[in-house]
Amino acid sequence: MDFLYGLGQIIGVHTLLGLSAYVVLQTGQVSLAQAGFMAIGAYVAAMLTVLAKWPLLVALAAGAGTAGIVACIVGFPALRVRGLMLVIATLAFGEAVRLFFFNFDYQIAMGGIKVGPVGGEGFRQIRYFPENGWTTGQVMLLIWAIVAVVMAAIWWLDRSRAGAVLRAVGEDEVAAQSAGINLTVAKVAAMTIGGAIAGLAGGIYAHYTTHIEQSNFSILLATFAIAYPILGGLSSVFGTLLAVIFVQGFLIEVLRPLGDWRNLLFGALIVLAMNVRPRGLVDGAVARRIAGILGRSGGERRA
Amino acid sequence: MLELIDLSRHFGGVKAVEALNTTIEEGQIFGLIGPNGSGKSTTVNLITGLLPPTRGSIRFEGEDISALPSHTRLARGIARTFQNIRLFGQLSVWQNLWVAENGAAHRTAGRIGRWLGGSRADRIRLRAELEFSGLSEKADELAANLSFGEQRRLELARALASRPRLLLLDEPAAGMNAEEIAALDDRIRAIRDRGVTVLLIEHHMELVMAVTDRIAVLNFGQRIAEGTPAEVQANPRVREAYLGTTDAA
Repeated sequence: MDFLYGLGQIIGVHTLLGLSAYVVLQTGQVSLAQAGFMAIGAYVAAMLTVLAKWPLLVALAAGAGTAGIVACIVGFPALRVRGLMLVIATLAFGEAVRLFFFNFDYQIAMGGIKVGPVGGEGFRQIRYFPENGWTTGQVMLLIWAIVAVVMAAIWWLDRSRAGAVLRAVGEDEVAAQSAGINLTVAKVAAMTIGGAIAGLAGGIYAHYTTHIEQSNFSILLATFAIAYPILGGLSSVFGTLLAVIFVQGFLIEVLRPLGDWRNLLFGALIVLAMNVRPRGLVDGAVARRIAGILGRSGGERRA
Repeated sequence: MLELIDLSRHFGGVKAVEALNTTIEEGQIFGLIGPNGSGKSTTVNLITGLLPPTRGSIRFEGEDISALPSHTRLARGIARTFQNIRLFGQLSVWQNLWVAENGAAHRTAGRIGRWLGGSRADRIRLRAELEFSGLSEKADELAANLSFGEQRRLELARALASRPRLLLLDEPAAGMNAEEIAALDDRIRAIRDRGVTVLLIEHHMELVMAVTDRIAVLNFGQRIAEGTPAEVQANPRVREAYLGTTDAA
């Protein structure tokens, strides 16, 4: 049972991380900074509950907000570069954040022991859940409630005019600005929303693992963040969820008995999945079917 | 309505547009013609703000708009179509129009609502725009799945969705057959009759001569003639530009 809880928590947090990249990818920006935003959310939220004794939800919101503000600031210079240059620039930023936390010490004495982040050792004793008597089941429920709310919000954004604007920017920037879209607003907004969601994922992650360190937020995690929406397809939020379940649930856990052969098969299966479904697991056609089941499709019907 | 004053755009040593002066009056269908590489598309890109001018200025309804970004010019009422169709292929036909819907008339209260969905009146207007372009049946179709002719009509509909006062058509007849060109002729007049001033860039001479009120001719980035279709047709410099230099008689 604990194993399933653990898996459920990972899938929940990674879904949020994947969705953070999903929003940014809508505008055609490939960001490898998502793990960095997640780290910011994780450290800020954890420091607020542990050191400042803030309530959890407020701390999570503050962590998400901080990551969102940083993402907004990063969004402006990111406007000046695109394609591979943007990938490198965001990668550099993500690594800079990681190295910042590698060097970041902030400890205060509480009840005779020193708590707080200590550089490379990381931040231990993030004991909000055990201290407040949360059961594993309740933690799980909280995580999935947050995932559900974020998914619903992005689902709704996708259906709105703003969602169409973000996609239009991703498809053709020249046509988008000629159609009256302010590219700066659209791209920075996507970056900000994505950063806030990644920060939220980080805050949750910090509290259920109880121990975070800079190496958790490496380039590998940033790669996973963009791999989920690309593998799942950019047509629907359900694609990202499905991709996370596929990667974390199937590829990593079900294939675990294969030992070292797993990593080989892991890569091969992703290549296979991308070949069989080039527009992602949930492509436009499937997304429309889901939309049909859930009601309204696009904006047109509401006219 | 639109004044180009000493408008120039150089790419390195190439003078794509050089010291162009012309005025387009409100309600006109104004033709801009010239051989390939004469600077027509560059002129459109300058007017819509995709390129900054090297020198000179653009005045629209009495105001200098030379420094405004593209999206602001659209909000002021300048819309365009592209020579090579540029739609949002993975958006539906309806979303293509929805994105371009211009809320300049709305003020701050309507701003957020506009981002999220727009008012009921906007939706009705966009439906009428689909109707005008004969695309009502295709509203939920992905733009990429439309036929070539439908894509051209959709691009025009997207431009009209922004409620332009000046519409720039960059070679709208490219790739069309005679029947479709005749329909385009009617459509351009219908757009003018809605109160939209039209700047038509076109290679298809029959269409340009039939539909425009006034024509400017470019060659090597410079205006070599301007006048009514009849005047331009009779101008020896125009013939020379199109047919090649003949020895001085």
